[in-house]
Amino acid sequence: MATRTVVLPGMTEGKALIPVRPRRVTSTRAISNGVLVVLGVLFITPLLWLIFASIDSNAGPTVRFPNLTFGNFTAAATSVNMQALLNSLYISAIATVVSTVPAALMAYVFSRRHIPWKGPLLLFILMLAGVPVSILVVPLYQVFADHNWLSLLPASIFLGVTSMPFEIWIIKNFIDAVPNDLDEAARLEQATTMQIMMRVVLPLALPGIAAAAIFGFINAWGNFLVPLVLISSSGQQPSPVAIFGFFGGNVIRYGQIAAYSIMYSLPVVILYVGMSRAFRGGFVLGGAVRG
Amino acid sequence: MTEGTVTGSLVSPGLAIPAGRRQDRVRFQRSSIPLLLPATILLVVLFLGPVAYSFYYGFTNLELIGPTATHYQFTGLTNFNQMVSDPIFGQSLYLTAFFVVGSGVIGATGIGLMLAIAMQSSLAVVRILIGALVVVCFMLPPITVAMVWYAASTAGGTLTTLFGSPSSDFLHSFPMVLVGAANTWSLAGLAMLLFAAALRNIPREVVESAELESATAVQRFFRITLPLLKPTILTTVLLMTLLSLANFTIVYIMTAGGPGTETMILPVYSYQQAFQFNHLAYGALIGDAMVLLATVVSFFYVRVSRARV
Repeated sequence: MATRTVVLPGMTEGKALIPVRPRRVTSTRAISNGVLVVLGVLFITPLLWLIFASIDSNAGPTVRFPNLTFGNFTAAATSVNMQALLNSLYISAIATVVSTVPAALMAYVFSRRHIPWKGPLLLFILMLAGVPVSILVVPLYQVFADHNWLSLLPASIFLGVTSMPFEIWIIKNFIDAVPNDLDEAARLEQATTMQIMMRVVLPLALPGIAAAAIFGFINAWGNFLVPLVLISSSGQQPSPVAIFGFFGGNVIRYGQIAAYSIMYSLPVVILYVGMSRAFRGGFVLGGAVRG
Repeated sequence: MTEGTVTGSLVSPGLAIPAGRRQDRVRFQRSSIPLLLPATILLVVLFLGPVAYSFYYGFTNLELIGPTATHYQFTGLTNFNQMVSDPIFGQSLYLTAFFVVGSGVIGATGIGLMLAIAMQSSLAVVRILIGALVVVCFMLPPITVAMVWYAASTAGGTLTTLFGSPSSDFLHSFPMVLVGAANTWSLAGLAMLLFAAALRNIPREVVESAELESATAVQRFFRITLPLLKPTILTTVLLMTLLSLANFTIVYIMTAGGPGTETMILPVYSYQQAFQFNHLAYGALIGDAMVLLATVVSFFYVRVSRARV
């Protein structure tokens, strides 16, 4: 029988030999693995195209073995496209600040203080998170046009506001997890509200605030309709609109579009991973409260 | 000792309870106001304001260009009557429902559930790889999803070459199926994550006792797993509905509502009327219909999530 060496709990020295039992091949396991593989193939096909087309010098819409080249990436990195990426960065950064800072302040009050009709208000805020943004652009276009605000800054501020309801919800839940005892201990030390908030509560809720900020950033980075409608100058347009522009020409250069899309999508994927790390590490308060 | 009662013989004069506010109940503190102000102002001006304006503009004759761009008037129910008798609006409603229910509720939730269940009893390698893959598909920004699926289904694309002929344009022949598939592809990862978390919360003892009673895998799934997953299924369905309703980019980029009006879901129809045909007021009214629809769904979502806690 096959064996492997292992250190058993309670052993102070040496290793033990335990038998290795191979996992039984049951029909459940076979079907599960089969289903996963089939679904995996279905899911990966469009992604494969994206990756292959970006390194293919003769890219077409089908998945084919690429003529390896990095030329698509260099060709896609024109000054116009890089400006669009920079615009995306500006828009998302502004939107993140506009949404996260007020959201954190409001979430602190909702979590720690009394507000009349707090319950219904919270539900209302959560319901706002479900309103589709596409309907807000029509009236907003009219108002912005009247005031000559069809540019990057007002559009970014609006984008931030659209993420705010859900961010308030996320941050509030994280602040709820910080024990009230810490607030009271700080209050006993004669801390002002500002000090309690900035020195005690918010630092402990930082993973949640970071997760909310990343959510707002991703929302703004991926938004297509709002910049399309609310930004009139093409020099201020972000990447999604630029990508959309690539489709307008007579010749669709799939390779370059694929390369640019990868450049554009990579930050989001990295941020998502960061956000999930923040969520997972969020509920450890380091034993600040006994018992 | 309740407030307001002072027994003169027991309490010295210096300890008289001062008149004024009760100290025993939680009260609204004035210092909360500056903390609430930024968020409230932003939400009211840039969120609730546009919603209200959308309802107002919907009943005017505001256009994007032309005389009524600056001198628009309230026109009462004219737009509403137009909407009710507009065959495209009816079609748009139907298409939206089909899109949301088909690709969001059934598609994304179903595939997410399938993935989560299959991941329970599969090899670790397969589970990690496929799980990461599906989640990456969810993480992609909408325009990337739209572009990738456009390439896959247009003339000469991957799907067209595999299942048809290289010259046929699947996007032209099966537009609704393809935008639905793109939507499902992008949302299934989220459903899978939600279900995987819920499955981890099923206590092992319940499953083990069923195994001891020699229940087959199918029986275990339908009699134990599924009922325990019901709350998660409900919240996931509602979440997928909201996310699919909000979907403008994927459909607009892939088909722009076409060919003709075959994929003209509500958000795309509203955009087309407002910004391509210049009827800002009518577009606003269509948007209002969407808000009402989304509010109803949102309301149920909130109710269900709260009830679960």
